[in-house]
Amino acid sequence: MIALNHDPYNLIITGVGGQGNVISSRMIGNMLAAKGFQVTIGETFGASQRGGAVMSHVRISSKATLSPQIPVHQAHMVVSLEPIETLRVLESYGNPDVGVICNTRPTHPIGVISGRLSYPSTKEIKETITRLSARSWFFDATAMATEIGNPIFANIIMAGALAATKELPLDRNVFEETLKSKFPPNKVGLNLTAYDQGVGIINTDNASH
Amino acid sequence: MQLLGPTELSHRILKGDLCTSCGACADLCPYLKSHGGKIASVFSCDRETGRCYAACPKTGVNETVLSEALFSTPWRADPLGHYRKIYMAKQGIKASKGRFQNGGTVSALVIAALEQGVIDKAVLTGSDGIMPRPRIVTTPEQVLECAASKYIAAPTAARLNRAATEGDTNLGMVGTPCQMTGLATLRTNPLARSDFKDPMGIAIGLFCTWALSGEGFLSYLDQQKIDPSAIRSMDIPPPPAENARLTLAEGVKKLPLDEIRKRVLPGCSVCPDMTALWTDLSVGALEENPEWNTLIVRSERGEALVNRAVEAGLLEIRPISQTSVDNLTLAATNKRKRALAAQERLGMLDPAFQNPLEIQPKQTIMGFR
Amino acid sequence: MSLLTRDNPGETHLMMGNEAIVRGALEAGISVAAGYPGTPSSEIIETLAKISDDIYTEWSVNEKVALEVAAAASFAGLRSLAVMKQPGVNVAADFLMHLALSGVRAGMVIVAADDPGALSSVNEGETRLYAKLMEIPMLEPGNFQEARQMTCWAFELSETLHMPVLVRTVTRLSHASGNVTLGKLPKPDRKAFFQFNGDMLDPMEGPIMSPPVGIKHDSQQKKLEQAAQLFEDSPFNTYGGPESPELLIITTSICDLYSKEVVALLNLEDRVGILKIGTTWPLPAQPVLERLARTRNVLFVEEVQPFIEEAVKVLVAGSHLDLSSLTFYGKYSRHIPTAGEMTPERVTAALSTLLQLEPDPVSQDYPPRGTALPPIPPREISFCPGCPHRASFFSINTVLQLDNRQGFTCGDIGCYSMGMLPGGFFTLKTLHSMGSGSGLASGFGKLEKFGMNQPVVAVCGDSTFFHSAMPPLVNAVHNRSSFTLVVLDNSGTAMTGFQPHPGLPVDTKGDQAPPIDIEKVCRAMGATTRTCDPFDLEATQKQLLEFINGDGGVRVLILKQACALSPEKRHTRAFEVTVDPDSCLGEACGCNRICTRVFSCPGLLWDAENNQATINDVLCAGCGVCASVCPQNAIQRKELP
Repeated sequence: MIALNHDPYNLIITGVGGQGNVISSRMIGNMLAAKGFQVTIGETFGASQRGGAVMSHVRISSKATLSPQIPVHQAHMVVSLEPIETLRVLESYGNPDVGVICNTRPTHPIGVISGRLSYPSTKEIKETITRLSARSWFFDATAMATEIGNPIFANIIMAGALAATKELPLDRNVFEETLKSKFPPNKVGLNLTAYDQGVGIINTDNASH
Repeated sequence: MQLLGPTELSHRILKGDLCTSCGACADLCPYLKSHGGKIASVFSCDRETGRCYAACPKTGVNETVLSEALFSTPWRADPLGHYRKIYMAKQGIKASKGRFQNGGTVSALVIAALEQGVIDKAVLTGSDGIMPRPRIVTTPEQVLECAASKYIAAPTAARLNRAATEGDTNLGMVGTPCQMTGLATLRTNPLARSDFKDPMGIAIGLFCTWALSGEGFLSYLDQQKIDPSAIRSMDIPPPPAENARLTLAEGVKKLPLDEIRKRVLPGCSVCPDMTALWTDLSVGALEENPEWNTLIVRSERGEALVNRAVEAGLLEIRPISQTSVDNLTLAATNKRKRALAAQERLGMLDPAFQNPLEIQPKQTIMGFR
Repeated sequence: MSLLTRDNPGETHLMMGNEAIVRGALEAGISVAAGYPGTPSSEIIETLAKISDDIYTEWSVNEKVALEVAAAASFAGLRSLAVMKQPGVNVAADFLMHLALSGVRAGMVIVAADDPGALSSVNEGETRLYAKLMEIPMLEPGNFQEARQMTCWAFELSETLHMPVLVRTVTRLSHASGNVTLGKLPKPDRKAFFQFNGDMLDPMEGPIMSPPVGIKHDSQQKKLEQAAQLFEDSPFNTYGGPESPELLIITTSICDLYSKEVVALLNLEDRVGILKIGTTWPLPAQPVLERLARTRNVLFVEEVQPFIEEAVKVLVAGSHLDLSSLTFYGKYSRHIPTAGEMTPERVTAALSTLLQLEPDPVSQDYPPRGTALPPIPPREISFCPGCPHRASFFSINTVLQLDNRQGFTCGDIGCYSMGMLPGGFFTLKTLHSMGSGSGLASGFGKLEKFGMNQPVVAVCGDSTFFHSAMPPLVNAVHNRSSFTLVVLDNSGTAMTGFQPHPGLPVDTKGDQAPPIDIEKVCRAMGATTRTCDPFDLEATQKQLLEFINGDGGVRVLILKQACALSPEKRHTRAFEVTVDPDSCLGEACGCNRICTRVFSCPGLLWDAENNQATINDVLCAGCGVCASVCPQNAIQRKELP
């Protein structure tokens, strides 16, 4: 088995209900389980469709079954489908060595929509994340996904981006196999395109740091 | 005088039991609505200033501004307000007969205004059994249906606001001093809106000393075991009469005025205006002769309407005696004095009454982090 | 084919806790499974219905009926499973008490899913106390593999004891995923026949009933003793750590993983031992006493109530151990908080205090000094874009305010419970259990005698109506109470993922089934009924006003509009919604941004820079209701084909 950068490796995938981050954490989890790792995914999704924040803790180990909750300040990587959710996660789980992949498209909470609260500027968010992490990538995954045909593909683009960072032993073949085992054949093509787009944005260094 | 908003209106006037349900604040926005004779705040609104507050005759009336805006003349603190002429009046020979309390002057004026094209529609207060019901009328028959005094407060001004919001202009309006004061303030465009249009073609005020609370009066009737739907008409004669007269199927029922007065809206006690100061024309009873009305002509367009109504034979006017004017002035002066004393007693003259309020909503859940 | 039905023993797959429970039940060869949806338990019945045609699965009308349906199968000789979230156990408790006494025939397991921390509940109830109260055995899986194994073994245990067996899971296990190695799938003989002609007390051939109580209760006690005996050697109770630890953690369920992880993280493997109990009730004496004899300090790590803590203390009091040589830490000593779910941090805090550890340097220095985070707006949960409940509550609130007599609304359980939040205009003023809104309204509606003249409204969803709003409605009509029930009928059990209910023309497996018409049911009860489309604000408000101002009695307004996320509506839009930038006056309008500030659908956006409302094209569900809310007609809707 390939050795992990850290054992256990703690990955957080965060976003807002309806962005599909549960699917993306399951895909990544399945890919790593297929490689023989012990994987635990902890998630809260009772109210996820109702605009709440959703956070999945994906934990990978070659040794033991881990708990579904990452202890505070122990995340190795944060993959975020929504900018302020990144901040929320870093505040509790970040540490000086953490990496961040962040979709720059905001989804405004009700308090912001109703004008009671304000949403930090993209610049402020980027600067803060950069200061709070060891390495970071930013891109508008929602725009890329919309171009493919549906904003929901942002979650798979993020998975592709994560693979491209080489933080975890993820590769396209396992992704394709996992896709085929979980999705009907007509859904495989677009998901692969999304994955490749995610890989591409990291490898061509088009994501801002 | 400071322009405040719905928070102050809601806490000082609506919850402070000063509201006389005139309706001037309602149906201007999605929040304040008139329903069942009362004003309701449907959702909370936190604007710092609002037309609702400006329109309320209880939050303070800027007589200087109104006098300039409506009559282009400085406010002189005359108890009868600014006027050009005072007549005794009643309907003319060409007018159709209706069930009038006095001379039928108001109906005659509204019919004249409609027939002569001075206005397209009029906002009047009709009746739904004993309860007043604001309505829009366009024909003489409808005008006559709305004749006869109402003793229960009604948010008629809200009906005008709604018509104006829906784009109506050239509207006639007949209303009590509180209703007409609110609408007059709105006609000065207090928030300086760029899309403002004065909806009012003619404003006719009614003399008023007080109005009953609909709720209070109904519960009194309930105590007296009187079915409100069985009441055909109600008459409250001026002093020294001691009883109100209710005409029921089985005959006339008398109710002591002392008991009825207990159901007067508390907000009426602070109203200084008896003759509806901020109108084109004001009409009331003529104490000396119940067949006739007192007609105060305040504005140029009011005067024009009177002249056209007389020419058309719809209205008859005669000079009024100085004694009548003196009596009216005395009554108006007394109401004003009593009102100012009541305002002082309730702290409404205190500058703090004009300060903005900061009310923290009791129920907020700031989400889940 | 689902991996849950793969007959390849030894294969390892990533499974959700609830899927592992399903696999365990399949490996036990169950024939019948019944339940009522409730987070975090719903996936169990849902998955069984999807993957297996050999078994009968049923979304029952409520948990008590589900337990009865499952019990009937057991009585007829088939292994059966009943599934519910914790509050459902309360509903089923009456039958459970009698079932525990009467006993069962074929293996019968009740899976109860608790929600410590109330992550998706309106209470933080504990099922474990029921094991003690009902006097039945209980198992608590501590990881994903155990969820499969324990569920499977629970059926054997049930048959050995002729008793229903409780398997208690929690959200963090049911909704988490982990590696599970598959066991063998059996090919059971599924022949149902109810034997009843044997001896009164013969568990296999006699009639099945709770009396004679004296004899049955006595035999129940014996069965529990037998269970405790079996638990003594159970592989589900494990110990790891030094022979004589400085501190012994006694834990169970998913708390075992937190304990192990924190002990490793703090490098305490040489000082702290962990005794994990899987067979929680009746508590096996030997494995516990054996460990207690080798330590002086004990920390209990469990959620939510001090269940094992109390059981161990009782055990020690009656044992040969010297009580003065032991110190217990846990909920009673407040080293573990008494409410809320367990977290690694809570274990860390307790261990740090007890073992006087240095604070973790990372938590101290992060975020690094001088890095101020901007204020992060909280993400309040609210109704989804296009949710019919938002429109319904907009109307209910409007009507109650217009009416001006301080009318109020009694809430109930479902997505619409969020009517208590700003997104629901704070409309709900009471919120308790399933059906309680109607029961409370029935009571409030009788208080006119004591001077109460506030109009009373209750809400309930379509599924909740069948679950438990019908009895209070009958009660209200018969007792001449006076209130308006608004049935928020969104055509499914939306909160938990669109499980069908008796009002729909499909059954649990999606096959055709006779629907029961809510309006007809209410009319048959003697209530006055009307149906409106909540998206038609004007008609809904008019009808509601008429009901509230009426002459009293029980009135039912059914607001019928499918959930925006329902399979038939999802990804479709009825209207294309746009904002006419020339008509929207922004702050100058006087509307005070009623669309975004009050109605606050996530499909709308307030563009402060341009002082205008806009539509969020990604989120807008095209219901078009906001167009009726805008007083300026600036929000416009165009019907889509």
